[in-house]
Amino acid sequence: MHKKDGDQDEPMVIGSATELMFPATRRSFVRTLLAGGTVVMLPSVFGACERREITIPGYDGPTDGPDPVTGVSFDLRSDVGIFRLLHANEQLEAAFYTAVVSSAAFSSFTADEREVFVDLRDTEIIHREFVRTALGSQALPDLRGSINMTTLNSILSSKASIIASARLFEHVGVAALNGAGKYLQDARNLLVAGKFASVEARHAAALRDMAPPAGVNANTSFAGDDIIDGTGRDVKLEAGAVLAKLASTNLLLAGTLAAAPISNAPSAAQGVATADFFPVNP
Amino acid sequence: MQQSLLEGIDPEIMDEVVSRRDLFRRGASMSRMVAQGLAMGSVPVALAALAKDAFGQAPADVLDVLNFAFILENLENEFYKAVLGTSALAAQNNAFTTVRALIPASARESLGQIQKHEQQHVDFLKAVIPQFGGTPAAMSAADFDFTGGNGSGTGPFARATTELNFLLVATQAFEDTGVRAYKGQAGRLLINGNNNADIALESALRIHSVEARHAAKIRRIRRGINPTDTTLRLSGYVRGGGAAAAGAGNIANPPAEVVAALNAIYGGATSESNTQHVVFNGTSAVTIDAATLSNLDVIGDSTARTNAATQAFDEPLTKDEVIAIVRNFIKDDAARGLP
Repeated sequence: MHKKDGDQDEPMVIGSATELMFPATRRSFVRTLLAGGTVVMLPSVFGACERREITIPGYDGPTDGPDPVTGVSFDLRSDVGIFRLLHANEQLEAAFYTAVVSSAAFSSFTADEREVFVDLRDTEIIHREFVRTALGSQALPDLRGSINMTTLNSILSSKASIIASARLFEHVGVAALNGAGKYLQDARNLLVAGKFASVEARHAAALRDMAPPAGVNANTSFAGDDIIDGTGRDVKLEAGAVLAKLASTNLLLAGTLAAAPISNAPSAAQGVATADFFPVNP
Repeated sequence: MQQSLLEGIDPEIMDEVVSRRDLFRRGASMSRMVAQGLAMGSVPVALAALAKDAFGQAPADVLDVLNFAFILENLENEFYKAVLGTSALAAQNNAFTTVRALIPASARESLGQIQKHEQQHVDFLKAVIPQFGGTPAAMSAADFDFTGGNGSGTGPFARATTELNFLLVATQAFEDTGVRAYKGQAGRLLINGNNNADIALESALRIHSVEARHAAKIRRIRRGINPTDTTLRLSGYVRGGGAAAAGAGNIANPPAEVVAALNAIYGGATSESNTQHVVFNGTSAVTIDAATLSNLDVIGDSTARTNAATQAFDEPLTKDEVIAIVRNFIKDDAARGLP
């Protein structure tokens, strides 16, 4: 759409054979080849995956479960690409809260805490399904087959680690939306992103209020000085930093998300990058 | 949309935009003021300098949104100062003396944190507006009537000065109005290929989510005081729409004007109960009903799914709707730049 010098610098990545079923991917594939660009076919395009019995607590899909996927990439030069990033985030959040609500540790939560987590689960499922529907054929594959069960089980082992992880996810969500809004090109899509963003901010505040990070004042934690800067502005992350944060949680198996530089940065015509603002321990 | 916008611009101007951006990326055009601002860690100074460096003048829409936000932030800031007894105007402090004594110490500290942010938003906008070529409205504590009486001091929200539940409903309503106002204005800041607008949009979004945190905290404070009122979600969500979404059941005999105000704050052309949202997928606009998506079985029955669908999306208010809500809290509206 905004063809600029350097568009062909990065290899186009085909993560799965089905991507070639999508007209846009095919067109881009052909264009890249014509332009002498590089196309990377990840092993999974040709390698048949074993289907696996799904073992994610609370998993609500078919019993044989989705296949693990690899090399999921994001072309952030379009609204579709930015919504794909959002889809990854919402999938992880929905899978996480679904697992939390059906975990053994959940019975140790107070009634108030359970209310919050059920609300979070329900909302993130709505978000996940909404973004998936909006993206249609461009939606990400089901990532639940790519959940790293070692990481998930470790998080689910205690209330403290569940809440700390939830705080991290919600803050990544807020920061991602706050950073990505300026790159969207259509006002209707920006409005939808805004509708999500304030809801994620409500989550973030409720979780911090329920259980503040160590050393943070309980009465101001909902919007503490560690997450709101000196100009009264909330956390924000550029898209690349969001992907890095998601990868650093290890909640997805290694290789699920394509490594940089495959995840393209938004083009300069879309918006101006700004410094990230995110605490070590949200 | 984006394409037509860009295509409508003279190619020479586009070249200029692109070359300026390229300079930006290399940092070559970073003026001493931007560099100083960044070095001091002062975002407003760097931001303001950056904006001026880029184009000198922001499009009228950006300035209009910033001026509008400035009025709303002043309203919120002066309201909290009056409640907490830190207003520059003794009369505003005195008005809230009775209710102030009823606020638990923990909630008072939370309100203090919120007030600090509103002051920061005021200061931020005040620093930024001139750099975008505008002049912030001159506003002070004397400009507001927190009873919603347009200067009479005896408006329908007068009970907020003596009843804790009433005060907290009003506080939550102010915050949610702020969230909805920013959300409604964000689209006017989306001007692709305009550095000023990008920076203003990102800042507006980051202020918008802070207001949502405030609203969520007020709901949690209210739920703590009224533990059986499950309309006040502990998750901080707005569930449903209209006055019912405010969770005002703990106020005895609310004045009709207050119910009408809450209906406007949680209702409007796109009510908070809305479940239909439009996305543009690159080819066409598609309306999606969040209450009837697939794979929602785990949420529960249709009531649970509808509740989830309404709380999963916060909705915008138009500028006119926001003005209609706040105008009786601001004296001499016309002189304040309000129609």
